[in-house]
Formats: sequence, structure tokens, C-alpha cells
Amino acid sequence: MSNELALMIALAAPALGAVLVTLLSKPPGLRDVIHIGFALITAGATLFLMVAVAGGGSARIALARPLPHVELAFSIEPLGALMATVSAVLSALHAFHTAAVVRAEGERAPARMMAGVSLASMGAIGVAFSANLFSFFVAYQALILATFPLVAHVDDESSRRAARNYLATLLAASIGLLLPAMVWTYALAGALDFRPGGLLGGRVDTLSANVLLALYVFGLAMLATPPLHRWLTISTGAPYPALVSIQALAVVPAGAVGLLKISAYVFGPALHEATIVSRGLLVLVGIAMCAAALIALSKQDLRERLAYSVMTQSMAVALGALLALPAGLFAATLQMVALMSAASTLMMVAGSVHAATGRRDAASYAGLGRLMPWTFAAFALGSASMVGMPPFSGAWAKLWLITAAADAGLVWAAVLAGIAAVLTFAHLGPLAASALAVRAPEDPFKRPDGAPIMLVAPVVLSGAATLLLLVFADPLSRFLAPLWSAP
Amino acid sequence: MLALLELARAHAPLIIIAAPLLGAALCFATPSARATWAVGCVAALVSAVFGVDMIARVAAGAVQPHADEGAPLRLDGVALFAAPLLSVSSVLVFISAAARARTEWGPRAAPFAMALLCAALGGWQAALFANDVAVLILAVETAWLAMAGLIALSARTDRGALSGALRMLMAGGVGAASALLGAGFLHRSIGALDFAALIGAEIATPALASVGVGLIIMAFALKALIAPLHLWSGAAFGRAGGLAALAMGAIGAIGAMAALARIALAALSAPAIADGVAAALAALGALSVVIGSVQAIGARSIKRLVAYATAAQAGCVLMSLALGSPAGVAASLLQMFAQTAAALALLGGAATLGGASSLTALDGLARRAPLASAAMSIGALSLMGAPLTIGFLGRWRLLEAGLGAGWAWTAAAAIFASLAAVFFGGRLIERLYFRRATTTVHQSRDPWRAALAPALIAAIAAIAWGLEPSWLLRSAETASHLGAAP
Repeated sequence: MSNELALMIALAAPALGAVLVTLLSKPPGLRDVIHIGFALITAGATLFLMVAVAGGGSARIALARPLPHVELAFSIEPLGALMATVSAVLSALHAFHTAAVVRAEGERAPARMMAGVSLASMGAIGVAFSANLFSFFVAYQALILATFPLVAHVDDESSRRAARNYLATLLAASIGLLLPAMVWTYALAGALDFRPGGLLGGRVDTLSANVLLALYVFGLAMLATPPLHRWLTISTGAPYPALVSIQALAVVPAGAVGLLKISAYVFGPALHEATIVSRGLLVLVGIAMCAAALIALSKQDLRERLAYSVMTQSMAVALGALLALPAGLFAATLQMVALMSAASTLMMVAGSVHAATGRRDAASYAGLGRLMPWTFAAFALGSASMVGMPPFSGAWAKLWLITAAADAGLVWAAVLAGIAAVLTFAHLGPLAASALAVRAPEDPFKRPDGAPIMLVAPVVLSGAATLLLLVFADPLSRFLAPLWSAP
Repeated sequence: MLALLELARAHAPLIIIAAPLLGAALCFATPSARATWAVGCVAALVSAVFGVDMIARVAAGAVQPHADEGAPLRLDGVALFAAPLLSVSSVLVFISAAARARTEWGPRAAPFAMALLCAALGGWQAALFANDVAVLILAVETAWLAMAGLIALSARTDRGALSGALRMLMAGGVGAASALLGAGFLHRSIGALDFAALIGAEIATPALASVGVGLIIMAFALKALIAPLHLWSGAAFGRAGGLAALAMGAIGAIGAMAALARIALAALSAPAIADGVAAALAALGALSVVIGSVQAIGARSIKRLVAYATAAQAGCVLMSLALGSPAGVAASLLQMFAQTAAALALLGGAATLGGASSLTALDGLARRAPLASAAMSIGALSLMGAPLTIGFLGRWRLLEAGLGAGWAWTAAAAIFASLAAVFFGGRLIERLYFRRATTTVHQSRDPWRAALAPALIAAIAAIAWGLEPSWLLRSAETASHLGAAP
């Protein structure tokens, strides 16, 4: 199989899966097989591409040419391949989990939700493999439109209101801020390609660089940078499978990889021209990181608590990307991988617990770990990774982040990252501990057989994935080296 | 035969004007609705074929554009691009009329409606090729009166259409007076009214010339739905029948925008008054964007929504023209194209709703009329400037031209228009796909889907040219370099 074919499969398989799931929604078994099957195909294609990139291979496909010197094109490169692979592999686990959740919960319109999840996966992979800013923008918009129905899925007044807010915030930010930044970049550089070493190098003055950076960071509202973060916290009424897509596998990671690509491939060393705004943004994301972790403490509904926890981790990614150092970029990339594996684990656990017991509040989790040991073991792994406890993936990411901040002379940023880690422990640690240590509640399950294997196995595997960075940290640093080196 | 064809091609502007005018005359003389529809279709088709052939040959460099000797015609960049656009739009409107003309106008009035449609097309085409300002004004008024008559004929289904037509006539009267006064001042200032005299003229009395040009621009801006001069549009669009509104949106508004572009570009090429004209165009454009966008957000019917969205888009066209550069002219032409496609998709789709035009009639329409909903959604996405639609291309070109000229505020205004379009377009799409039907809509029997064809064709064109716009870009750039001078 050629690299180009694998790239096309990675992009097209989720869309095809979405169409088939919608058309062949009955019987439920067929629907589930289609959903899981296409998720596995997508994961296989992205793994193939990751191996190809590691071996020095390349691939590029151009689908249209809407502007002079600008194509709708997708290509493989280390950062995109890493994000796409992590997203697709975890999405495959998520597909199994989704099939189990919709059956256990008796979810309404399951085929529509599965189709939405597949399209979100397609959008995320499109963002990861985008070859230029225009393709990134198209995939980003497609992701917004694909996930909007997921937020509105419950179809009551509050979910519709949340969906309108979600759509309005993300679309307004992308059209009002990201699009002008793109056009300005085109006017300065004459192209929109993602180039190692930066597209704007030597082409941008200090004022333009500062304004552009602000436009890009706030334009990427999927990153949930305040004040454009409310969409994340009010979309928590969506079903659990949708929340995994939104918070862990598609939407937030798309914002993260977008900022990484812009830092590395659009600005490059020119990021040093934007010192004023980057310092200001560092202060903002540092404070937001701590504030989100603090607010998470006050939330009893686990979906809201996890939303703020994800926001904390997302701000950590932004912190690393804005340091304008190779070490910062590497830290941010590790942080993004850690975020995806940990957040997907935690949200899938929340979905499994609700499907099996109907419980949603943090206080009601006490003792459940004794009845669902595997599930809560995964929860403990995911929590430890989010906190940054060794040897889990989040620890390496936090270590690199703090080191990079200190190297940049921003000790205060390193301190803020540390405080955020402590606060994250405060809102996740006791939860995991009480689940495992406290006496088990009597008769907690909705069904006599407890949690079926399809609710448990994916979360365990996803939790185990948080250990992978322990093994792959060094190989990843070599794999990602082209990110910060000019050709 | 070939020699005749070549002769005809060489006189394409004359044929583009004459065909619909001849068609109008024949329609007036024919009592049969079917026969007049056929005549109108043929006339529009002939005009469209010659128009497309003309721009294709010029864009390919096969011929140099020129004015016919002895005829009071002038072929400039705007005419080169807008004439085929208007003719093709007219063909689509006539196709839509196949299913709905008798319902909307009745069997007795339908022949007159076809004649008025042809006359309107002929009038706007004559305005595009007019050699001097006086003929331009005459042609514009002819087209305007025809459009007002078309709206008035809709009174068969809604008496309120008479009110809309009356407002059009009153506005048109004010506009005509303003234009004639402006022409008088212009003639006093430069001694002639032909475009050749205005372009690059050394004007001894720039203040008088500026006032004259300003009055003419205001008159045409009123007809092009530029806010705040568009006060007639709410009643006219809102109470007009589906076909009449479609003709207004796809032909009338675009024809007026193109006529405005001609006079604006001619004025911008006169050094003595260029700066003042540019400032006035830019200010008016920005105002139109803001007012039109806000009104579109509050619109309660699809026709009014399109009218106000057209005002916002017309503002973007004005701002593009004000830049005075070939990039700005190209951006304005692309936006006219995008607006035409969006209007056809939205109004064409809405025309299948029978007489209903309220936004609540769109609730849950996707289940009952998926094709119409898809067409309207694509039209809305194009208005938003969604990527891979033609609307994105027009918006991008304006942003690029504005930032390139250092006019960052034009970029801000264009972004505002897009954001507002996200709001009202998004609300429209939400109604179509995410709400349950709350009203019963009677959809007319139309086995051939003729009423829907223009909307679908326009929607497909909006996507196709968004994906592969090279020919369109080349045409716009060719036209922009022609500018006001052939």
C-alpha cells in the first residue's frame, strides 16, 4: 500500500463509516460492527503512516486548488502523524466503548451519534494531516460543524442552547480571528504552506508578529483559551461518547495541534518577534491553568470536573507552544499526547460508570472501585497521568514543560505549571482514592450483570496507553526533531 | 453560416442587449403564457450564450475587447463580467418560471410578466454596455420600471405586493431625479457625458463634478440595495411573489450593482475627484455592511433576509471598488458572482414553499424537501464565506486586497459581514435540519422540479467554483485589468 493511498484511507474511512452507519443503522449489531470496523481501518492507516514517517517516507495529496498558490492538500509529517495516530487508535477503543454505552444507556438516535463521532474523527485527522493553513482551516471548520450535532444530541432546550453557544463561539473565533490571520499571513508570505523553520521567517515585523500571534491563539478557540473557553464547559450535557470526542480525541486536540503547527511551521524563529504578546499569553494561560484546576474542585458533576481538568491540560499545551523553544514544542507535543490518552480514559470511565450504575456525581463514586476494580484502576492511571505523576505520560510532559520554562528564564511559568499539577491532584486524586479505598456501596448496578466487558476493556487499554510515553519518550524526541529544525 | 456566426460574435454586446428586448416585444404581442415563456427562455439563452462566449474569448486572449463602431456601446471590464452573469441568471429564473409563472401571476398576466422580465434583462444589459451616462441612466430606469411592474403583478397572491411596487416606484423616482441632476452637474463640469470624456479627465470644477458623480452613485446605490438607501426593499422583497423576488435578487440587484460599479470605476479614474469618490464609496460600503447585516439578523422572512444580506454584500462590493486597484475590482466582481449564486440558491429554494416565506415555514424542511434544503444551506454557507464555496473566494479576495492596500478596516467590515452571516445563516440551517415542522406548507406539484432547478444549479456552481475557481479568477482578473477603459 502506498503512502498516498494510506493517507486517503485515513481521511476517507471515517466519512464512509459515518455514511454507512447512518444508512445501515439496523440491526444494531451491524451498526456497531460498521462503526468499530471503520475505526479500526482508520487506526491501521494512521499507524501505517506513522511508520512511514519514521522511516523517512512522505506523501501529499491535493484535492482542490481554490486560490493561486493555495491547495486543499494533506501531507504526512511527524507532528500530524503522531496526533492522528494517537487520535485514531484511541478512537478505535472509543468505538468499542461507544457501542457498549449506547446499548447500556438505551441512547436515542445511536446511529446519528456514531456518525457524528466518526465525522469528528475525520475532522481531527484532517487537521493533523493538513499541509497548509487553508487545509487546516477547512478541516477545522468541518470539525466544528461535525461536532455541533453531538452537543445538541439530547435535543432538549438546554442542549440546543449549548450547541448554539458552541457553534457561535467556535465559528465566530475561526472566522473573526483565524481567517484574517490566515489572509494576513498570505499577504506577507505569498503562501500558506506549513514549512519546517517557519513560513514567516524574515518576512514579519514586530508589530505584525504580535498581532498575528494574538489572532491565531484566540482564533483557535478549540484550545479553550479564556475568554473563549465557555463552549467547553457548557457542552458537558452531551452524551458520554460525544464528550470523549469533544474533550479528548478530536476538538481540544485539534486546537492543540493547530497551535503547535502554527508555532513550529508558520512562525518558527519569528515567534521571538512576538515577545510582547507571547509573554502576555503565557501569563494568561498560566493563570487559566491554575484557575481551571481550582474551579474543577468545586464541580460535583464529573463531566464538568473533567471539562475543567481538560482545560488545565490544554493550557499546559499552550504554555509549551508559546515558549518559542524546541524544548517547549517537544513538551507541548508530549502534553498533547498525554492529554488525549488520559482524558479519553477518564471520560470513558465516567461513561462506563454512568452506564453501569447511573451515577454521575463525584461524591457517589465512593467505593465503586471495589466493585469495578479494572475500571477504576484505569481511572487511577488516567488521573495520575493528568496530575503528572511518574511514570505516567503526563509526568514526562510536565517535566519537559517545567524544564523548558526554566530554560526560557520564565521560572514563574514553571511555578504555575507546578501549582496547576497540585490543584489537578486535588480534584482528581481524592476521587480515585475514595473510589478504591472506601467501602463499596450496596446494590449500585442498574443491571444484574454489572458492567459488561465492552465497557471495561477499552478503558483499561486506554489507561495502559498512559504508560507508553515511559517507553517512547526518547524515540519520540528523535521522531519529532524535524518540528524545530529548518530544512 | 459560419461567417454569420462570426459576425454575430463580433457584435456580441449588441446581441446581448437586443435579444431580450426583442423577446420583450414579442411577449407583449403574444397572449399565450407558454409561448411567452418559450420566447423569454430563448431570448435569455441567446443573450447568455453570446455573453459567455464573449468573456471566454477575451479571457483566453483570442480577441481584444472593443466597442462597436457607430453604436452607442462600450465594453469595459464590468460589462465583460457582469453581462454573462445576468444573462445566465435570467435563464435560470425563466426555468424556475416554467412551474410557477401561472400560479404566481395567473394565465392572463403571465405573458406580461415574461415580457417585463425580458425588458428588465434588456435594460440592465443596456446599462452595462452604455457608452455615456445619459444612456446608462435611461437603461437603468427602464429596467427598474420593469422590475416594479413584475413585483406589482404578484398582487394576485398578495395584495401587499402593490405596496412594495409603489415603494419601488417612489424610490426609483427619487433615484431618477437624483441621477439626472447629477448628470446635469457632470455635463456642466466636464462638458460631456460619455465615459471616454470622464475617464482620466482634467476637471476644472472638481467640486461640481464630485457632486454630480455623487448624486448618480447615490441613485444607483438606492437601486443596488445599498443601506441605508434600501428602505424600499423590505416591502418589495417581503411581499413579492417567489419568482418576482428571485428576479429582483438574482437580476435586479446584481444589475444595479454592476451599473454602480461602472460609474464608480469611471469616476475613480478621474484624478481630480478620485480620492473623494473612493472615500464616499468606502464609507457607504461600510455602512451598508453594518446595517444590512444587523437587519438580516432580525429578518423574519427568507425574502427579507436575502434582501438585507444583499445589502451587506453590496457594501462589500462597494468597499472593494473603493480600493481602486485591479485586485479590488476583481474582488468586487467575484462577490457579485457569489451573491448571485447565493440569491438563486436561497430564493430558488424558498420558491418551492408555495406562498409561505416566513422563517418558521423552514422548520424541519430538510425531511420534507431535502434537495431544496440542501440548496438553501449551500447558499447560506456561501454567504457566510465558508471554505470551498464561492463566497469564501470573494471574501478572501476582499480581505487580501484590503490588507494589501493598508485598509485594515475593510477587512474588519468584511469579517463583520461574515460573522453576521454565520448568525443568520446558521439559524436558517438550524431551522432546516434541527427543528420539527410547526406549520403546514403546501408545496406545488412540480414533477420536473423546474422550480428547484435554478437553486440546485446555483448551489452546485457555488461549490464547484469554490473548489476549482481558476476560470472564474482568470475572467475576473481579465475584467479587472480592463477596468473602466476597454
